[in-house]
Amino acid sequence: MRRARGFSLVEVLVAMMILTLVITVSLAAFVERSRRLRQASEIILAYQALANEVEYRRRIDFDELETASPQFISDTALLAPLQPFGTTVAVAQTQTGIKNVLLTVRWNNGQREARLQLVRVDTGGDNLW
Amino acid sequence: MPVRTGRIACPPHGYTLIEVVVAMAVFGIFLMILGVLTVDMRRNEKRMPVNFMRHPQIDAVISRLRRDVLDAHGSNPYRETHDGYTQGSKTLILESVQENGGVQMIVWDFRNAGEVKRRAYNVGVATQWIARGVPEDFASTLVLQAVGIPGRPWGVRVTARDERGRIAIDQILQPRAHE
Repeated sequence: MRRARGFSLVEVLVAMMILTLVITVSLAAFVERSRRLRQASEIILAYQALANEVEYRRRIDFDELETASPQFISDTALLAPLQPFGTTVAVAQTQTGIKNVLLTVRWNNGQREARLQLVRVDTGGDNLW
Repeated sequence: MPVRTGRIACPPHGYTLIEVVVAMAVFGIFLMILGVLTVDMRRNEKRMPVNFMRHPQIDAVISRLRRDVLDAHGSNPYRETHDGYTQGSKTLILESVQENGGVQMIVWDFRNAGEVKRRAYNVGVATQWIARGVPEDFASTLVLQAVGIPGRPWGVRVTARDERGRIAIDQILQPRAHE
């Protein structure tokens, strides 16, 4: 009998196709998981740096916001794993007495970025610290 | 009646060279993909610090510490000593505003590996909250530093490193004004 000699070509091909499908899906899931974990870790670092910079920018006098450094003033050693990375600070006056301070960290050749915006109001005094 | 054994029968003369080469090629591609993925994962693991903030106890400690510092009272909320504690890189002593508007003295103690203590003093009565089971790297590498702009109340910079010395936590906490 033919069956006694093994499986037919179609059976083997179908089995290989299923196996290939399972392996491909598993590997894709593995790759995606690894990528997302890495991105999550990067975001955690980036937002710590952004939050730290906000603490400096919220204490700069309202009138000096535009003339302050367009890069981060705070220590960015935390971002070493993202090297090479860039930081920018953009200030825009939306209306009298209100300025938006947009902080950005870019890494992975500019393909990834994290932003945080601080809205500053001219309190006319000590910036409420 | 022939019975399927579940295995591909080996021909009496063995496999042909082409069959063996194809099988090895498929297996080789599979191994190569696995190898590339493993190398990539290891590289990321070496590059990125441990995410301490995923630890619930550390998250609780940092959240509570942040609230205390943001609610710090007055233009100089820090005290050099209190109840046998001394201000330092592992100990933070500050006056903080309570929800009812009262002021309490807070002491954060990071000196012991594996645990963090927060002592609150209200009118002479001390209450203690302890976060146990924090990773030893966190408490042993944690450093508290004063940071800020001269002329304003100082902030607190909290840094901690993982077991490979990579900076895992770097947070600047600045007191907010209370009126």
